[in-house]
Amino acid sequence: MPPGYKARFAGLAFAAAAWAASGAIALAQPAKPAVADHPIPQSQRVEHEETLDRLAVLAKRPGAVGEAARKAIALFKRHYAREEEYILPPLTLLPVLADGKATPDMAWALAMCDRVKADQAEIFQEHTEVTNAANALYSAGVAAHDKDAMEFARAAVTDSLNDLELLEPTVMLIGEHLRMALGPAR
Amino acid sequence: MARLLIRAAPALAAALAAGAALAGTPAAAADPAHGRVVFSQMCSVCHSNTRGGPAMIGPPLFGVVGRKAGAVGGYAYSPALKGSGVTWTEPELHTYLQGPAKMIPGVRMPFGGVKNPTQLDDLVAYLNTLK
Repeated sequence: MPPGYKARFAGLAFAAAAWAASGAIALAQPAKPAVADHPIPQSQRVEHEETLDRLAVLAKRPGAVGEAARKAIALFKRHYAREEEYILPPLTLLPVLADGKATPDMAWALAMCDRVKADQAEIFQEHTEVTNAANALYSAGVAAHDKDAMEFARAAVTDSLNDLELLEPTVMLIGEHLRMALGPAR
Repeated sequence: MARLLIRAAPALAAALAAGAALAGTPAAAADPAHGRVVFSQMCSVCHSNTRGGPAMIGPPLFGVVGRKAGAVGGYAYSPALKGSGVTWTEPELHTYLQGPAKMIPGVRMPFGGVKNPTQLDDLVAYLNTLK
């Protein structure tokens, strides 16, 4: 038996057991798009992180600004979770699609794009809640002469409008384009 | 009969006034000064309210009463709003501001509406002063 064979065998056995266990866990989960397999565009990732960081800073302020920011955090996190689950991942395909390439391995995005279309009313409602939170933060910012709060609120509402005007329609268009490119059976 | 009508007139007038209030028309007692406060709390993050004020996230609201929906040049309205055929009278604004997407489906303004009737009346009264 070559030196180290036992240790390597034990390592392989452990890896196989771990793989089997992970499979069992995966099978036990409800079917959801694998978020880790389909990341969101990095620019969006950075934007989400920076937004939550700014909001966390505002949430530590005393008085109405802090209170409004703390209320907003939960809404923003909920909206970002939705975006990261199925609204933003299809956008990673955009540069390749714009190059005129559509391949069968992109079909994973179809279910996400369809879901964006189906959930339009629900997503819009979420944007109105974000706007209400931004209004409260803006109003508190005006009263407290807090320019950071006012600027954050304005940027948040602009971002909501950007989602409605550009981002979500683009995701729906990606779905239409993919379905045409990959064939109607998809 | 005539005497009966004369006696009933004040009660009739009161009933009509109450009916008008219930129908959701802007109340005569609306307070535009308070409406300005409501505007600053719910609208000013997106809309300007001064003469010649700029389009911001939303279109400027100076002169909105009497204006056709989607009529501010250079502002990219949703097709839904632009094609609505609405002219912004006080009653139209009253209905719209309760739930924009309910009155005009497809509108992009991400605002759920003013739920408090007094705030709504006062806001509409304030918008009517912007001229």
